[in-house]
Amino acid sequence: MNLVKQLWRVSPTVRSAFITNVYPVRQLSAVTINPLKPIQPLPPSNTEELDKLYKRVELEMRGIDPAVLLSYSWFCIAAASHLGIEVTKSWTLRKAEKERHTLLRCVHIYKKHRVQYEIRTYFRFIHIQRLTGSTCDTYLEYIERNLPEGCALKVTKIECQPLPDHITPPKEEQ
Amino acid sequence: MNSSIFKLIQNVSAVSKSSAILSSQFHTSPALCRVVSGKYRITKKRDKPLTYEMANPPHYIAHRKTWNSWNTSSLKDGLRRPETALEDEFIRRFMNGTWHGLVCSEIIIKRQFNHIRVAAIIRRAVSPTKMYFLLGYSEELMANWLHCPVTLELQTVDSFKDVVFKYI
Repeated sequence: MNLVKQLWRVSPTVRSAFITNVYPVRQLSAVTINPLKPIQPLPPSNTEELDKLYKRVELEMRGIDPAVLLSYSWFCIAAASHLGIEVTKSWTLRKAEKERHTLLRCVHIYKKHRVQYEIRTYFRFIHIQRLTGSTCDTYLEYIERNLPEGCALKVTKIECQPLPDHITPPKEEQ
Repeated sequence: MNSSIFKLIQNVSAVSKSSAILSSQFHTSPALCRVVSGKYRITKKRDKPLTYEMANPPHYIAHRKTWNSWNTSSLKDGLRRPETALEDEFIRRFMNGTWHGLVCSEIIIKRQFNHIRVAAIIRRAVSPTKMYFLLGYSEELMANWLHCPVTLELQTVDSFKDVVFKYI
């Protein structure tokens, strides 16, 4: 059904085939043709941009259902193993963080009778080691696109950078 | 004092089990301490149909049932809590009104980033042309009002009897 809908929206020729106008549209005015241009190679850049290196990437997943988080972490680890990424740790807290509210049970009076509600947030952590920038971007793009509903993902990247030139080790006095 | 009351209640409940008429008029807890929400009373003829969601009272959520709306607003540091709740209520009322008398289950709303997915079970009382029109109509208008892409994932069923779990 979606295919039909898309066809209907995209191609004016399909629409014109089905809808018969009183004043028919000229065929030439309906279709526009863009001439193909040959692909021009980019001019070579003087400075090569080096890929970033990440010492550790920490994924923190928060969710309502621990089973969903477990399945999602299994998916993340499987994807990492397919891409050849090193997974060091994957763990969860024993208990969830709970936000509790104690409210009055009735609309009017009856102060001694209350109702307690709690909202739970379950956590799960995965630590990944030794990535390059492009690998990290690809992996995270894939992970984030497949994030299940009701789950949140927080990514912390720890980068390795070379020491800047103005910082030099102290010269030993001979 | 508490132990004697407990023994009294035990004796009385043992007596009440013998006669079905007495047990329905007997209070085992003070009136305000019991939970009445999400529970249905047994009828005499035992012909009131209940779906699986209706049959399991709210204390079975996360055990035998899951939630009807899945979003990150209720998590720690979750954003847009009241707006999401209001949008969910709007979607539910809109769906129930557009498919009036055709929705056989609870309406499940899932949010992934910007995308809202609405799922429900609909019974086939209307012709397919009308169903497709209602599908496109609700998707377009909801996307217009909520400013998000909305997809409807509907499953159809012959009649309401296919969704009934038990008769109470």
